[in-house]
Amino acid sequence: MTQRTTMQATRCWKAERVIERLHEKVTRQMVLSLEACVHCGLCTDQCHYVLANPGDVTYAPAYKAGSIRKFFKAHIDWTGRLFPWWVGARGLYTDAELEDLKDTVFGKCTNCRRCALNCPMGVDQATFNRMARGLLTYVGVMPEGVAVAAKDQWEIGNQMGVLPEDYLETLQWMEEELQSEYGDPTISIPLDKPDCDVVYAINPREIKYDPRTVAEAAAIFHFAGENWTMTRVGWDMTNFGLFNGDDELGAAIAGRVYDEVERLGGKKLVLSECGHGYRSTRCEGPNWGRRTTPFPMESSVVTMLRYIKEGRIQVDKTKNTEPVTYHDSCNNARSCGFFEEPRELLSYVVTDFREMYPNRAENYCCTGGGGAMSMSEYSQRRLKSAKIKAEQLQATGAKIVVTSCHNCVDGLFDLIRHYKLGMEVRLLVNLVAKALVAPAGPLPAPPLA
Amino acid sequence: MHELSPLLAFVQDQLQIAALLFMAVVYALKIRWIFRFPAARDRQERTGDPATSARKGAAYSLVNVAMPWAMPSTRQHLLFYTQFVIFHLAVAASITMSFLIPYAPETIASSAAVRLLQALFAAAVLVGLWRLIRRVRDPYIRAISTPDDYFSLSLLIVWFGFSILAAPNQPQEGEWPLMVYFVLTAFFLVYVPFSKISHYLYYPFARWYLGKTLGYRGVYPVKRGGETPA
Repeated sequence: MTQRTTMQATRCWKAERVIERLHEKVTRQMVLSLEACVHCGLCTDQCHYVLANPGDVTYAPAYKAGSIRKFFKAHIDWTGRLFPWWVGARGLYTDAELEDLKDTVFGKCTNCRRCALNCPMGVDQATFNRMARGLLTYVGVMPEGVAVAAKDQWEIGNQMGVLPEDYLETLQWMEEELQSEYGDPTISIPLDKPDCDVVYAINPREIKYDPRTVAEAAAIFHFAGENWTMTRVGWDMTNFGLFNGDDELGAAIAGRVYDEVERLGGKKLVLSECGHGYRSTRCEGPNWGRRTTPFPMESSVVTMLRYIKEGRIQVDKTKNTEPVTYHDSCNNARSCGFFEEPRELLSYVVTDFREMYPNRAENYCCTGGGGAMSMSEYSQRRLKSAKIKAEQLQATGAKIVVTSCHNCVDGLFDLIRHYKLGMEVRLLVNLVAKALVAPAGPLPAPPLA
Repeated sequence: MHELSPLLAFVQDQLQIAALLFMAVVYALKIRWIFRFPAARDRQERTGDPATSARKGAAYSLVNVAMPWAMPSTRQHLLFYTQFVIFHLAVAASITMSFLIPYAPETIASSAAVRLLQALFAAAVLVGLWRLIRRVRDPYIRAISTPDDYFSLSLLIVWFGFSILAAPNQPQEGEWPLMVYFVLTAFFLVYVPFSKISHYLYYPFARWYLGKTLGYRGVYPVKRGGETPA
């Protein structure tokens, strides 16, 4: 009996399931990406992990892709099945191999998609890396933090396990803060109000760690005279399905948000600032759930920009005079084409904007993407690879880095502290709220539809 | 006019046709295999710059190969890109030559045409050798290389070498350069579908799908914000 036959006979249960699942999950686009790589290596120095870890070949995008490609070739591609050694095909057999794969697809790649945009062949590695994460998640092989967040999202309805009581209490607290701050008892954070023009969904991090952002958004909605509401359930617009590759989770979480908007008869879903949340709810949710949504969706950045342009809120940019730079979230920029509106909004609310280079779709990841902030076992690796981002930030000379992503806020905050950059991290809503000029008279009426 | 030996006449005509047919059949099977997999689609409303679209993104993606400025990876490695251009032009020229020699030899009979082809093939040999050395010496490239990578590259280098010798098309001076060139061409055609060289079959599909997705999402055509301050 050959070695391979022996190993096939002893393939572990999880590897069997992974291979079965591979056949179900692989799409035409993934097959093309898995087949088309010519091993030219042009992607190598486009990855922040490689740049920060010179000499370690295991970080190279094509090498990481190879760890997926080899079992794809062994189990699906016919040249790999006929001549495995010749084309580098190798099947999955053991639990140790699954652990190695986990280390690569979760711990050495943030799915930032920068390599895809730098591949001459159009290999979209982030897409099949996510698929590989999903295969492992299917058999329970994933970082503990990812498992916990996904479980919370399945069971409690949000990725940070915020209980309904805490959610409602925090909103009430913020409402009282706002009323006190502006001396205006009419400011409110409405809940489950039917037939609103805007239904606002947020990142649970806002409730748990940064409730001021909810208050700031509420102030902006209030002064814009918006007919808006938040919801009691289905309020988490983030989605660990994007990170762990579980399309079913992705569809369920996005579906809960969509269902609430439909139930309340909301006319538009506005999504708080979160790169992966925006991508998941705005761009991927309908695909994971194989459904269309009867209402439009937009980022709160677009909403705030529109309020300013329509004169519904007044801002004074001289309230934000410190030098500011902008970090493009990978999910926003490379998967949703969302990069001009934040810059336009900044032009209204800050006096000293300094571009970061490279930027937009060519920007480097904050290194906290792809769920990396929840994988503490890879923290040292993440912070080491953040050197590239740190150098980018430092070169701007800015005192404040603004981003439109709560996940990036955490990633940037961590690396700024690690590399002692002395910068602050802000969301756009923070700067708009700071620049906000509360009207002295009655609130403006919303424009007629 | 020199009369070809029956063997050379066979290898530059019937053998090539047979090899081409074989390649076409295997390619057709490969395309059929690819289309058996379901295509992912974008159901959501489009995002990004309203001036872009799936169609524009796909078009941009497909011509990306001719725009070295479009990606950091190519504009930061212009020498590598130049090598890529030379190498692939030589492949196209040699394949074209394998048709012209038996069926329209007069089109490349002038000494200028021969010199031009030989210069291109010689440059491609140098590029190929450079790439082979890079594949062996660069730890990143070595780590991702398979036996097929080395063999395919070596095969092309040898093929380009014999393309230099075959370009003058002088069987009266000795048939062996043409014989080896055409046998190698036939082998190349048969081997290609099983090797990484078949990437050019995948290229249009892979780039079209990526471009369609990224165009629909407003990412393609890439809007550059510069790599350094102006």
